[in-house]
Amino acid sequence: MNTKIVFQEVKSNGVGYWGLLGFLGLFILAGAIAFFTAEHSGHYITGMNNQIVWGLPHVFAIGLVVAASGALNIGSMGTVFGKHIYQPLGRLSGLLAMALLMGGLIVLVLDLGRADRLIVAMTSYNFKSIFAWNIILYNGFMLLVGLYIWTMIDPKMKFLYKIAGSAAFIWRLLLTLGTGSIFGFIVARQFYDAAIMAPLFIVLSFAVGLAMFNLVLMAAYTGTKRPIGDVLINKLRYLLAVFIGGVFLLELARHLTNLYATEHHGIEAFILMGDNIYSTLFWWVQIGVGTVLPLFLIFCSRLKNNRKAFVAASVFVIVGAFAQLYVILIGGQAYPLVLFPNAEVSSSFFDGMVNSYQPSMLELALGLGGMALSLAIVTVAVKVLRFLPVSLADKVVDPHHCKS
Amino acid sequence: MTQLALIIDLNVCVGCSACVTSCKEWNTSGSAGPMSDFNMYDQDPTGTFFNRVQTYEVGEYPNTETVHFPKSCLHCEEPPCVPVCPTGASYKRKQDGIVLVDYDKCIGCKYCSWACPYGAREIDEEQKVMKKCTLCVDRIYDMDLPEERRQPACVLACPTTARLFGDVHDPDSEVSIAIREQGGYQLQPEWGTNPANHYLPRRKVKSSVSKEDLTRVDNPLKDEHFNKPSDSDVTLEDSSWI
Repeated sequence: MNTKIVFQEVKSNGVGYWGLLGFLGLFILAGAIAFFTAEHSGHYITGMNNQIVWGLPHVFAIGLVVAASGALNIGSMGTVFGKHIYQPLGRLSGLLAMALLMGGLIVLVLDLGRADRLIVAMTSYNFKSIFAWNIILYNGFMLLVGLYIWTMIDPKMKFLYKIAGSAAFIWRLLLTLGTGSIFGFIVARQFYDAAIMAPLFIVLSFAVGLAMFNLVLMAAYTGTKRPIGDVLINKLRYLLAVFIGGVFLLELARHLTNLYATEHHGIEAFILMGDNIYSTLFWWVQIGVGTVLPLFLIFCSRLKNNRKAFVAASVFVIVGAFAQLYVILIGGQAYPLVLFPNAEVSSSFFDGMVNSYQPSMLELALGLGGMALSLAIVTVAVKVLRFLPVSLADKVVDPHHCKS
Repeated sequence: MTQLALIIDLNVCVGCSACVTSCKEWNTSGSAGPMSDFNMYDQDPTGTFFNRVQTYEVGEYPNTETVHFPKSCLHCEEPPCVPVCPTGASYKRKQDGIVLVDYDKCIGCKYCSWACPYGAREIDEEQKVMKKCTLCVDRIYDMDLPEERRQPACVLACPTTARLFGDVHDPDSEVSIAIREQGGYQLQPEWGTNPANHYLPRRKVKSSVSKEDLTRVDNPLKDEHFNKPSDSDVTLEDSSWI
């Protein structure tokens, strides 16, 4: 029997749906207030300074951008690699990818010194700059994923489905490569300047994107009371474990190669063994909460088919990924520039001393506002367009498996 | 090609910060300004400076010395801040090698700050664009000024002439001669940025001075048998009519 996948808009008009939108709206409003306050008063009211120039908003922005490309993976696995079980999720995967990128870019743009000059950034390109290439990559991603979703929704466009899906997949790899290269090309700072940053960001995007996708999927199907089977959830669960392992492997390689070079011993000691927030975040949150705990929740035999454990693992992966980005972004900037190698320096202008950064509520509000915007876009889109299959029960997504 | 630069003599810099204040004064009121300050007299003051003097204690006690180290944009010949700028707001002038920021094109992404290995770039927290030393480009070509005044404000202000200004590509210029003859060096040449600004090193002068050396040979008081006034002599201070 050939089971047909039926897509349908979310019909709910209840308190739950509008309450969710209202809840997200509060965060968006707080983000907007934070932006206008910083815009009006100047950056000095935030925690950022001339030593820590990228703060918490950039952690959110880069986290969301990275998650966006990762969220597309589910669709790509169905379209590019022919994994049929993921094909019903292609539309949601594309939608979430676009929404997360939108949220990330909003935070990125509003955290610019001159957000009002976005048009300059879009029209005046320095093609030697990886940052400029990223602007092109973001725009291209939006276009290609939009086209990809169109080919999935409109039967007349089906002939482009495979091509659009493949193009979007290749583009998403390039996009994360570009995001990682922002740090890979930084020769001036001890914690960056390593080619491994690009693949690390790609694998990180796989993990955090999938974790976001899992949460949205579970929330959507629980909220709308649509069925979702264990076969699909277990596929996603073990896929998440593979990606967590991938991130851990590349992170291990990055630190080991850094430790091999004497010039990096200082920064590695600062991040791994320092009496500071970065070491705490690295060991307790990134490794403990973001790596070990989700792997336990996934592989613990007593938690097999436990959906709460699956959701918790996804939440922990996201928390760990944001901690990892915080350590990479802020920790790398906090470590002082080495102006005089082999000399211990201290001065009244921050040289030789660890730069301090205290994130302000404004920055947190802006970052959370971007995340809320992404989720609000998804919430609205699933109501107006047919993104969600009516059922993801085992017999629908994997009839062959059910027969056997 | 001309490459204008500053040469800073660490041997004679006394860390008075006259260069810092004159730089701030000239530039905050000029075309590169304003250079905003916040909480100036409060806790955690913050502000924009093109030039800062950093003071280091070098060595282990008791064999220590103090080094005053003025630092501003080094106007690298291969500036890492220029290629990373997404809009091309950071650029290097062909005619004189000065690295500048076009404030109208800067979007304040601060990526140049990440790229500069010398920490020379600062964001103006009010105008929210990146700012840095311009080598006082608005005064060194100002024909309304007398020729000897067409120099960066910091150079004119330095009381010990620790700062020289000129073309480091001209082998006969004062700055090239100073680099050549006094061991001028670049900051962190290993980055390959080829900074145009150079530093002249600290130079230890060892000399033994005897008491006789300090006695003036042609002391006029000694030669003319000048008599010091005695306590009984009337001096100006004793004149009651003043």
